[in-house]
Formats: sequence, C-alpha cells, structure tokens
Amino acid sequence: MTRRLSVPLVLTLGFLALLVALLIAGGVLVRSILTSSYADAEYVRAARIAAGDAVRAQLDEETGVRGFSAVRDPLLLQPYFRGRAVLPSLLRRLRSAGETLGLHDARRLVADADATNRRWLRQVARPLLLVKGRNGHVLELHGKILVDRFRDDLAAIDAALLRRERQGDARAQRAIGLANVFAIGAVVAVIVAAALFTIQQYRLAVRLEQERATSEEQRRRAAESRAAYEAEKRIADTLQDAFAQRVLPELPGVRLSATYEPATEEAKIGGDWYDAVQLPHDRVLLAIGDVAGHGIEAAVAMNKTRQMLISSALVDPTPGSMLERVNAELIAANFPMITALAGLVDARAFEFSYAAAGHPAPVLFEPGRRARFLEVGELPLGISPDAAYATHRVKSVPGAMLVLYTDGVIEHSHDVLSGESLLLEAVEAAARRAGEDPARDIRDVIFDRHRVSDDIAILTIHFMSPAAAAAVPDAAVLQRTA
Amino acid sequence: MSDGESIKTIRLGGELEIGRKDEIRTALQRSGSDRAVLLDLSDVTYADSVALTELLRFCVSSSHDAIPVALVVRTPQFARVVQYAGLAGAFKIFGDRDAALAYLARSDTE
Repeated sequence: MTRRLSVPLVLTLGFLALLVALLIAGGVLVRSILTSSYADAEYVRAARIAAGDAVRAQLDEETGVRGFSAVRDPLLLQPYFRGRAVLPSLLRRLRSAGETLGLHDARRLVADADATNRRWLRQVARPLLLVKGRNGHVLELHGKILVDRFRDDLAAIDAALLRRERQGDARAQRAIGLANVFAIGAVVAVIVAAALFTIQQYRLAVRLEQERATSEEQRRRAAESRAAYEAEKRIADTLQDAFAQRVLPELPGVRLSATYEPATEEAKIGGDWYDAVQLPHDRVLLAIGDVAGHGIEAAVAMNKTRQMLISSALVDPTPGSMLERVNAELIAANFPMITALAGLVDARAFEFSYAAAGHPAPVLFEPGRRARFLEVGELPLGISPDAAYATHRVKSVPGAMLVLYTDGVIEHSHDVLSGESLLLEAVEAAARRAGEDPARDIRDVIFDRHRVSDDIAILTIHFMSPAAAAAVPDAAVLQRTA
Repeated sequence: MSDGESIKTIRLGGELEIGRKDEIRTALQRSGSDRAVLLDLSDVTYADSVALTELLRFCVSSSHDAIPVALVVRTPQFARVVQYAGLAGAFKIFGDRDAALAYLARSDTE
C-alpha cells in the first residue's frame, strides 16, 4: 500500500535537506578559503625570507669588496664569493614566488634588482678588485647608488609580499567570520525547523482529534441511519410480504398470471403494483401502476391509490371514469405522480376496455398476428385536475393474450424503443410456449439479458379457447390480490 | 416577440434521472417576466418518473398561468416516453426548434 506523506512533513524534510546542503556547501567554501589562505601565507613567508637573504647576500658581496679594496687581503673576499654564489638562486626563487602569488610588479622588480646587481659587479666590484686605489671614491659613490637601487627593489618586493600577507590574513579572518555565520545560521535554522515541526505535529494532533470526533459522529449517525433503515425495512417487508401473498382470480375463459420483482434489496418496497379483482358476470377488474419514488412514502401512496381504484370500480367500473375520480382524489391529497392503467376484462365477450394515465402501453398478442402495443397517451395521475382519461375498447379472440407491465420492464437499458422491441419478442415467445406462468416467462426472456434496475411488475390475461376454459374450475368468490 | 428577449429557452440534455432532480428543478424555475418558454429537450434520450414529474408539473403550472410552452423533442426514444407519459396529448411538442419558436410567436400575437 502506498502511503503519501503530508505536505507539512514534506516541507519540513525539504527544509532540513536544504539546510544540510547549505551547511555542507558553506563548510566546503570556508575550508577552501582557509586552505588557499594558508598556502598563500606559506608562499609569502618563504618569499620574504628569500628577499631578506638576497639583501644579506648583496651586503656580503659589498662587504667583501670593500674589505679587500681597503687591505687587499684575499681572506676578506669570502663574503663576496658567498654572496655571489647564492644571490642568483635567491632572486629566481623570488621571481617564482611573485608569479605564483600573482604579484604583477615582482617580475619587473626582481629583474631590475638582478640587473642592478650585475651592473654593480661589473662596474664597481670588478674595478675595485682588480686595481688598487683606482677612482676609489667615484666607484664607491656609483656603487652606493646601485646598492640603494638594489635594496629599493628588494624593499618594494618585500612591501608587496607584506601587503599580500595581510590580505591573506584578512581573507582567513573573513572565512572564519563566515564559518561563524554558518554555525549561527545552522543553530537558528535547526531551532526554526524544530519549531515548525513542533507546530506541525501540534496541528496534526488537533486534526487527528477532529477527524476522530468526526468519524465518531459519522459512525453514530450511520448507526442511527441503519436503525432507521432497519425500522423502515421491517415495515416495508411486512407490506411487501402482504403484497407477495397474492392470489389471482380464477374464472372460466381467462387465465391470469403475474410477477413482481424489486430492483434491489434496498428498494424492496417499491412503488409498482398490480391488482386483479373478479367482478360479477365473468368480468375482471385490472389495475397496474407505478408511484414515482421508493420507500414507505411510495408504498403508502401505492396502497391508497389501489384502494381508491377498487372503491371507484364499485361505483362505476368504466376505466376512464375510474381514473378521473382517482385523479381528483390524488390531486386533493397532494400525492406524488402516479402512472396507472385500469382495465376491465369481459371473459364472455373477449373484450378488454382500459384507460391509461401516463403508463406504458399494454401489449396484445393474438394468434396468427404479431404482438402489438395498444393506444395510450394521457397524463399521469396527480398532475393536473383537468386531465381526462378516455376508455379504449379492444375486441379480442380466443387464444389472445394481454400483457400489462410497469416501466421497469422496458426501461432497463434507458432505451425505451429497444426495451419495447424486446418486450414484444418476449410476449410472442411466452405465447408460443403456452406455459403455466407466462408473466414469469416474459420476465425471464427480458432479464436473462438485462439487470433488474427498477421494480418490475407484469400481469398477463390469457383469453382461453372454449375447450381450455371448460377445464378451469369456476371461481365464484370475489377475490382481490394483495 | 423574438427569441432571447421574451421567450425563455430552457435546455436539458442526456438522461434525466433522479440524480439530476435538483439541476432539473433549478433549470425549470420561471421568472415573472417570462412570456413564453421554449423547453429544448432535443438531446434528451431518457427520463425517469421523477424527471417526468418535474417536466409535467412545469408544463401544467405554465399552462395554469397562461404561459405558452413549446417542447422540442428529437430523439425517438424520448419521443416514445413523451408519448405514453401523456405530454404529447396535453402540450405542444415539436420536432425542431424553428417550428417551436414559430408556435410561440403565434401564441404571443393571439
């Protein structure tokens, strides 16, 4: 299972990662500056020692020449020769150090000092060594000028080295200061990160507590809803069981079959219903309908409408008149919209009269013909007080079958035309099969291919041939389904 | 009277089901200045009983208030629903928008 980190935690971790990266980068930078400063300082120190040695070497040269010139003792020439021996290498070392340290004037100053020393050797030292008393004062004056120039060059180089040494010291001081800033920054950042993390943890704890409280409230409400649902379901089950214990009328000439199925367990108490009530003179009152919606409210509306229809039939069983009376009562009671079809079957005359209120068209199958829809087209009940309902009369033949149903039978795919086409196929198949329960056969053909997405009710009336009718026992008792 | 000025057009499409009840009810709210309503259901393919209830109540209340209403229904599936639900017999149904507008224009001049 993939767990996602919370945004505050990600921000805190990101901040800490950035902080560590900055500290590492800062440390590397400080270390680099200090290393560079230390190396520069070593170079400068070595160069300044070389500059001092060069001045001393030149002084040895001068001391040796002056001593020898005064007393002509070769022993006094030792400093001269020692100075001459080491001075070139010292000047090379100085030149190299100047280039390494990037001192722009060092090369020129060393070259000038070298040239000046060579001039002093050539123009002052050599004449004084070779000839006694020759222009001694003039040579010494010229030599002093050259020696001063040599020492000025070396002094200038030493001054440059000294400046460089101070610059290096200043860089090192800045690096140390930078290191201090990083250290202080790190401490501050850690404190800030710790504070942020603490705040985030506090908020998280508060949110968890709120979620826990919310979850507990939801569980409590769910339990209440479940209890309410269970209570409603018990009532619904009771009503539904009463509805399921249906006994259809039995009379000569017609055979009835019916099926009802709710869409789901939750919608077990739906708004669909059917009734078949036997009337005198081999007539049967049929009613089928659908209350918009589900639940107890729909069940109550359904049962009141059924009572109204049957009561109305006792006054006048003409289907259109029945629907108009019921519609007036429903409008007055402010009931939900109800689609219904009321019909009257005359088994002796093979006649079916009906009126429809916003209800899907009944199907009539007659032997030798294709199944067809009968005419419908009036408004549902409970919509308009002015609605009028025409009574249609259909003369049928022995062997014919009427099929009444609710919209779930044709609206399973939300394409009513294909639903009606499938229904016609199913009716013809059930008629050909001539089974004991054509309503169930029709249901099986349709819902073998489709899920039951809404309540469905199917009621069939089979006009039997005289021979078949003779085999059916007479049922003289008026019975009502449900 | 011209479309967009005094004819209010309400357009709904797709499958009208209980889950869209609030949307349908909101769409079908009339204002006092409406003189006629064109209910364009050209793209509707299906309506369940709850949606049909909303449509029917809207048409009935408009009729009661003497507000002309013309419905445009084009898909054959929904036309069949409209037919057996009784709308076709009780209200003006047209197969295209121009015919519906022409009817509403005539209604205004009468």
